[in-house]
Amino acid sequence: MPSASDVVASPRTLDQAAAFLASAYAESRSVQIGKDLLTDGLDRVLEHEAGDLTCTVEAGVRLSQLRETLAARGQRLSLDPPGNPTVGACLAANLSGPLRHRFGAPRDLVLGVTLVLADGTVANAGGKVVKNVAGYDLGKLVCGSRGTLALIVRVSLRLHPLPQAARTVVVETDDSAADTASLLSSPLQPSALDILHPGRVALLFEGSAAAVDDQIRRTRALVGGEEAHPRVWDEVRERQLAALGRVRFDPGRLGETLARIDEAIARPAAGVAYVPAETASDLADAVRALNERIRARFDPTSVFVGRAW
Amino acid sequence: MALDDAVARELRVLLGDRFVLTEPEQLRVYDCDGLTGWRAQPAIVVLPGSTEEVQAVLRLCHRHAIPFVARGAGTGLSGGALPVADGVVVSLARLNRILEVDLASQRVVVEPGVANLDVTRAVESEGWFYAPDPSSQQVCTIGGNVAENSGGAHCLKNGFTVNHVTGLTVVLPDGELVELGGKALDPDGYDLLGAFVGSEGTLGIVTRITLRVLRRPEAVTTLLAAFRTGDEAGSAVSSVIGAGIVPAAIEMMDALTIQAAEAAYHPSYPAGAEAVLLVELDGIAAQVAEDEVAVEEICRGCGTFEIRIAKDEAERALLWKGRKGAFAAMGRVSPDYYVQDGVVPRTRLPEVLRRIADLGDQYGLRVANVFHAGDGNLHPLVLYDAERGEAERAKELAEEILTACLDAGGSLTGEHGVGVDKACAMPKMFSEHDLEAFKRLRRAFDPDGRANPGKVLPTPRLCGEIPGPYRMHPLERIGIAERL
Repeated sequence: MPSASDVVASPRTLDQAAAFLASAYAESRSVQIGKDLLTDGLDRVLEHEAGDLTCTVEAGVRLSQLRETLAARGQRLSLDPPGNPTVGACLAANLSGPLRHRFGAPRDLVLGVTLVLADGTVANAGGKVVKNVAGYDLGKLVCGSRGTLALIVRVSLRLHPLPQAARTVVVETDDSAADTASLLSSPLQPSALDILHPGRVALLFEGSAAAVDDQIRRTRALVGGEEAHPRVWDEVRERQLAALGRVRFDPGRLGETLARIDEAIARPAAGVAYVPAETASDLADAVRALNERIRARFDPTSVFVGRAW
Repeated sequence: MALDDAVARELRVLLGDRFVLTEPEQLRVYDCDGLTGWRAQPAIVVLPGSTEEVQAVLRLCHRHAIPFVARGAGTGLSGGALPVADGVVVSLARLNRILEVDLASQRVVVEPGVANLDVTRAVESEGWFYAPDPSSQQVCTIGGNVAENSGGAHCLKNGFTVNHVTGLTVVLPDGELVELGGKALDPDGYDLLGAFVGSEGTLGIVTRITLRVLRRPEAVTTLLAAFRTGDEAGSAVSSVIGAGIVPAAIEMMDALTIQAAEAAYHPSYPAGAEAVLLVELDGIAAQVAEDEVAVEEICRGCGTFEIRIAKDEAERALLWKGRKGAFAAMGRVSPDYYVQDGVVPRTRLPEVLRRIADLGDQYGLRVANVFHAGDGNLHPLVLYDAERGEAERAKELAEEILTACLDAGGSLTGEHGVGVDKACAMPKMFSEHDLEAFKRLRRAFDPDGRANPGKVLPTPRLCGEIPGPYRMHPLERIGIAERL
């Protein structure tokens, strides 16, 4: 199949995106999203319904731009991956940051999507309301798809109010697993809890000033630690971004997992650690085959180039 | 196609005689779920006792091209577990063990036949709980919750079943086994857990489920506010959300629901209330205390004439009793009712409620409203008397209510599922292309269409050749609006 690297398309509308893929399909051209097909031009926030705590955006909107728009009305998308990716990339690459601890991954925040399939068909799934079980949840399905299933064009998202106060505690420790276990089994409700392995546990508390104050006091009584500058979260994100590999583990096996790793950013409640060296995918063969069957149904002629796992 | 005796014999060899039901009086028990208006008699009901037996049953169905329907407790309200006539019903009732409680990982591993509330019961002594709490939680099963992506009153803050399932053992329609996810989150590849949860039994049968459990919040406050109009209660809901407070739950009941609840459970709701709001706050004690004051002030500002605050578990249970049992209480005010599950954006609630009242007047039928106000999930109960021939009119009214929800940018169903009940309404929310994309996913799991056929997606057999009028999908509408 001839590569489309000499044809760069940057659609500004859903129709243009659909037309590009329809012609690629008709001409048997392959398309690598992010290289042959860019979403930079699809960068509008289409709707922000503050009263509903929802918004609908085009997939090319960058998180920094969205953050600014939402903050004007006291809200945010509780997703803070490293860098400044587009919303579409957050879904496609399943990106999340420290806030994953409390607010989840993109799949937990997506309410609906508009996709363009490999043959140019436009398909919607989900909706823009926070609660909806009508039809299959293709908005979740495309999370982690890395451009191999469909082009994500529009996304409706669940939002949260901006917290009144946010403060950080860092615990220097020789036994981050034990400290983490005490924290996770306490009634404390951090918005983020990351381990900067080796040696430190970082916690973010959000809420009213009094409640944050109270949680910080109790954290220090439980595991020690000092209030810290929020720049520690930049360090977390930088190290996460620089990591080439990812280790998944049963959250209860945190201690033995960390014992095997020299250096990592670990997100213990999720059971995910970002490590410097490359790691192999842990996807079982049967699941891989099922992924492949789905890919083949959505893109039977392999228009999309890439690897999702 | 009637199943021949040879199939039943084969199943008996696989499962043992006791667990293969073929007598008409045995089969009748399974002929409907909670949506009792739809009934069909299966040819055979099987009760496998292990993952391997479920695999064996589905392999056999695969070999003989027999359609099958998985079934939990049968409490579903959309006919998702309605049998296929002459097909096989796979009851998961025997797979009812809690396999592992791993609180160090904040996970519990269960079989699909475990009742929702039993997950919380298994961990509550240690101070943990399982968050999704559908009203039927005492009996409905986790397997059914996975199929329907069940919600409940408290999903406003904590999310739905899909946000709490971290792993699934799935038997695919050909009998093959796949393990999706596990105790760790973020597996590579497509989010198959996200696609499977809520797929209403059309992609396979789960035999093992890994659930995330949460630490019981240290403080809980339940507040009941009574209002003289629904609009006042509605504006209180908007103001609470607008103030940046995320309650664990906000529920609303209207006068008719209050009347029914009083007749059935005597929760002694304030007299003269046209609408009652239940607001539950939970979390860090200092936060809950502040939010409680704020919510109280907001409710007073919006015109509440009485506020009650539950001081302990017993008082809380009483406040909730009228709400959790509201559907069942309807029997006190009407012989029959038809419940809807539409969703509207929260900000559109007041206008949609007025529209529902107008429609009720127009059709000459009463509509009781009891719903999850925090997330805009309505449960209008259309009251009718089948003996007076009102059933058809009630169904028409219910459809008009759904249309009103869709017109407001909402959804056909918030938590009850599409099932057979709303399959024919799907073209009102989704275009042909959208539905075709759904079919691609379904075929990837079930190329022969034998897993719960006739559910979720409209079929010509069920709906006739002409689909209902398509209304622009909310996302699509935004796209059109920007071009004008």
